Amino acid sequence: MIAASGLTRQFGTRTAVDDVTFDVGRGEIVALLGPNGAGKTTTLRMLAGLISPTRGTVTIDGVQLTRATGDALRSRIGFLTESPGLWDRLSVRENLKVYARIHGLADPDRPIDAALDTFDLTPHADARAAELSKGMRQKVALARALLHQPAILLLDEPTSGLDPEITRGVRHLLDERRAAGCSILLSTHNLDEAERLADRVAVLQVGLLALDRPAALRQRLTTGRLLVRVAGHPASHLETARRFAAAAAVDGPHLVIPLEHLEQQTPAIVAALVAAGAELLEVRPEIPALEDVYLRLVNEP
Amino acid sequence: MRVRALLAKELLDLTRNPGALVPVALVTAVSLVVPLIVIVMVPAVTGRPLADGGGGFAETARLLGIVTSLSDEAVAQLFLFQQFLLLFLVTPITGAMSLAAHAVVGEKQARTLEPLLATPITTLELLVAKVLGALIPTLAISAGGLVLYFAGIAAFGEPGVFAQMFNARTILLIVVLGPAAALVSLQAAIIISSRVNDPRTAQQFGVLIILPLTAVFVAQFTGSWWLSTSWVLLIGLGLVLAWVLLVLFSVALFERETILTRWR
Repeated sequence: MIAASGLTRQFGTRTAVDDVTFDVGRGEIVALLGPNGAGKTTTLRMLAGLISPTRGTVTIDGVQLTRATGDALRSRIGFLTESPGLWDRLSVRENLKVYARIHGLADPDRPIDAALDTFDLTPHADARAAELSKGMRQKVALARALLHQPAILLLDEPTSGLDPEITRGVRHLLDERRAAGCSILLSTHNLDEAERLADRVAVLQVGLLALDRPAALRQRLTTGRLLVRVAGHPASHLETARRFAAAAAVDGPHLVIPLEHLEQQTPAIVAALVAAGAELLEVRPEIPALEDVYLRLVNEP
Repeated sequence: MRVRALLAKELLDLTRNPGALVPVALVTAVSLVVPLIVIVMVPAVTGRPLADGGGGFAETARLLGIVTSLSDEAVAQLFLFQQFLLLFLVTPITGAMSLAAHAVVGEKQARTLEPLLATPITTLELLVAKVLGALIPTLAISAGGLVLYFAGIAAFGEPGVFAQMFNARTILLIVVLGPAAALVSLQAAIIISSRVNDPRTAQQFGVLIILPLTAVFVAQFTGSWWLSTSWVLLIGLGLVLAWVLLVLFSVALFERETILTRWR
């Protein structure tokens, strides 16, 4: 488990990360969302022990990350950096072998072969890194981060530059690592990815704006809408709808009813409309996307 | 283990980029050819032996107490061959300087440093691997040059010169002083490489180590100071000590944060 407490980092007078507290438990994926310059990479670097916080602490399995403990604790972390950072003149296999040896793996060829296989890199094992496409380089970098089976994965935009098929493969792999008890923190701009993959989402904009399950965030920060299409003119049933939500309105053929608790309130509204003589043609709940939550959070003054 | 892993990578990388060793090979070739031209070819072509005209070199050599039992020409040759031997001390320094200068800043520019620093590798391990990665190939080339140098002395030198070249001083020069001077200069270049964001700056500062060696070369040539066996040993040990201190200094000065966050 990795935990940040009051994590703050200043560069001169600029505060890059301010008083951020969260943890990533065993077998959990937390997605770090935030606009460019929100401090995501700086947070990941502090958690990886690459830069020290100005204030606050990072603990890994209860051990505080310091200059003295950093080298040892880094062996428990797999860090995917923003840029793949491969040695261009070395082959894929050679790149991985250097890292396998640095991590002290006794029989490096076995985990390397497994990693190559996992990422469909076996046919390219002897290709120089310079010859690889951007997506392939990203795959090698991911394979490198996972090579030593770390208990903690810190991933800076893991699916950036990958095609949809490989992206799906990476998500599947992260699911597997989660099931194996790995604590995973990933930064991403891909809200769909965060929604699909993460147990919890942390929205960062220098400070931590929110941290919760995607569904809980949606419920807490936005309202859903119920769209109802009735036979005849919808305005004739507006009064019934307004008993549930004062802001209910007519939009074309629909009654639009904003609701805080969409799932719980829908049966009662449907029953009330039917009782009022409405002939229902369509009842459609509209759940706000994580994107709406995110945009609301980062655009709030 | 980690030093070996990174060192293996450095050497592998060099085999894929042999052009990086061309400066070392060139300096070695010059160190090899110039003495043979000056000491062997010029006297042969001009018909004027080195000891001619008052026997300047031989006289200086005798004044310095180098050897007295050989002919004037052999003593002059011995004196000059020993002088030019110092060029081989400079070879690894000048040749490997660009490798050492790129060691840290080059990794940063290629964006390969951050993933490396995210591993358990310590700063000491990283810097030692980097300095050895620059030193070992250049010493190997330099050693090859020395073999040819001595083969040239054996082939073209006056009788007795080759045998007289093999003494404690020569061995200490080759085995202790040369590598120690190279270690110090390359470690200094790596310190600079970890403090600047342009390899050219590191290279320019690193080459400054040649100045004291040039001073020794000139002092010997003019006969004002002879680098005796005990001096060679003393300076060699001093350089090894200086290297150890530089390694510690380089670890203290290596700022991961600055390198990762401020260099562009």
